[in-house]
Amino acid sequence: MLRVEKLESGYGPMQVLWGPDIEVKAGTITSLLGPNGAGKSTLLWTILGSVKTRQGRVLYKEEDVTHMQPHRKVDLGLAMVPEGKHLFKEMTVYENLVMGAYRRDAMARKEENLEMVYSMFPILAERQKQVAGSLSGGQQQMVTIGRALMTNPTLIMMDEPSQGLAPKLVMEIFETIEKMKREVGLTILLVEQNAAASLDAADYVYVMHEGSIKAEGTPEKIKASDDIKEAYLGL
Amino acid sequence: MIFEQLAGNLVQGLVLGAVYGMATMGLSLIFGVLQIVNVGHGAFIMVGAFTALMMFQALGIPPVIALPAALILGMLLGMVIYYAAVKPLVSPSGSGIRKPSGRDAGIAVAIFISLMVVMRFLSGYYKLHTAFSIFVGLLFLYGLLLYVYGGRRQEKAAELATLLVTFAFGVILEEFVKQLFTSEARGYNWDIGKLDIGITVLPYTKLLAALGSVSIAVILYLWFNKTRAGMAMRSVVEDSVGARVCGVNVDWQYALSFSLGIGLTVTSGVLLTMFIPVGINPYMGGPYTLKAFVIAVLGGLASPYGAFFGGLVFGLIENGSYTLFAVIPGVEPFALTRFFSFLILLVILLIRPTGLLRAK
Repeated sequence: MLRVEKLESGYGPMQVLWGPDIEVKAGTITSLLGPNGAGKSTLLWTILGSVKTRQGRVLYKEEDVTHMQPHRKVDLGLAMVPEGKHLFKEMTVYENLVMGAYRRDAMARKEENLEMVYSMFPILAERQKQVAGSLSGGQQQMVTIGRALMTNPTLIMMDEPSQGLAPKLVMEIFETIEKMKREVGLTILLVEQNAAASLDAADYVYVMHEGSIKAEGTPEKIKASDDIKEAYLGL
Repeated sequence: MIFEQLAGNLVQGLVLGAVYGMATMGLSLIFGVLQIVNVGHGAFIMVGAFTALMMFQALGIPPVIALPAALILGMLLGMVIYYAAVKPLVSPSGSGIRKPSGRDAGIAVAIFISLMVVMRFLSGYYKLHTAFSIFVGLLFLYGLLLYVYGGRRQEKAAELATLLVTFAFGVILEEFVKQLFTSEARGYNWDIGKLDIGITVLPYTKLLAALGSVSIAVILYLWFNKTRAGMAMRSVVEDSVGARVCGVNVDWQYALSFSLGIGLTVTSGVLLTMFIPVGINPYMGGPYTLKAFVIAVLGGLASPYGAFFGGLVFGLIENGSYTLFAVIPGVEPFALTRFFSFLILLVILLIRPTGLLRAK
């Protein structure tokens, strides 16, 4: 579904990515682990195209999309749940979700997708007329995920979706992620600080450090390696 | 007697305030989307005033009909300025966070400030040695800018650069218009009768100007809240990262909002001449820039409708205080009114820095 080859990018004089290779297979949850500042978020933004690629390629559905503009990639079904939510706080929940269906193709499927989001997060249906900024942190995260689902995606990249949430809500978010894979059939690329929960949910894991991939494998393999856990994951 | 006069002037103030409000919406829109303070704001009002004047005098087209022409002219002008000077300073990258380079900022400042000095010199506004010393001074400023901010604090450098560049563009426009029309103050006379409401007399042109302002504000409100294109721009104001992941072309929205902001400002210049059809000259924009800043702060800076209501409040304060100051013997009411406006600005900034009409 998605393949990243020797990707290099950064901000101004600072290079962040030093050629990581990753592959995300259709219908799986691929988890990207690593300490703060490893370049995980930058990798996601470079895949989306809002950080410019300097070297390497991004292939999505067998197509080279390396230099495609972000809004075109959204058209192709690449969605993003950014770190820190980035909701439209002064818009209502409903308006936030409709913004997710901004692209024409997504707009055509607005009603079905809205129904799916409301069935996944019934609380959002109740609160649809409420201003998003007035919701609790967990509910705001639901809006962010819902908004991404409204773009009619095939692949969702999620950046720290459980950040700042209470343990019970973290569990719920992870359940939602697995539900999105099982019931909606989405492919998910997950960036998480919460290594333990992430290892449980993932089908395949990449460990990133200082802008490149240091280890990869099935969650079982990563869990079995004390070296990796100690060096990069703090487990 | 004084109360009747006050009431009459307040009505005038409300009508003028509507136009003031409209004249600030463009400033607020640009600030809301791009976080740029358009220091050359008044020059664009001046362009609108000349548009109205020329269309009326040369072609006999009444100012009301000139409104769409002014909007289009302003939007084109805005697009040109955005791509020539503003884009390198605000170009969004990363997760939507602006990371312009200090070098781009420096180059933009150097080019447009030089152009500005050359234009001022050509028009005779500066003598040769003045032009030279200003130029050297600005080059020094540019060097300082690069030195202090060029390395790590590039965003600061770009922020400063946007102020200098919009200022330079204002001056360039003034001098350009002066080359075309000289600095003589002009006026036009469009008489379509007046309305006597007892306490004061309102020419229909003034009423039309206010009506036009209110209509434009309402249209803008509906556009922002009910249309797909308007929602896209609003989403960029609220959260450009969020807008990007929804598939909004953020770079284009930046260009479009700058262009629309300038378009609205030029349009407001036409409306202002309907209120005050005299004193149209290349340097007329200055006082309007200052007033627009006060109004924008009154209304909460980043909100175009806030700005509109800020304008109404400002119109009332200006005319009301003028009437009251005029009663005090030995006081020059015009100067004191101006002073009073800025006193209000100061007080608001002290007690409510987010603006008077802004929730939060």
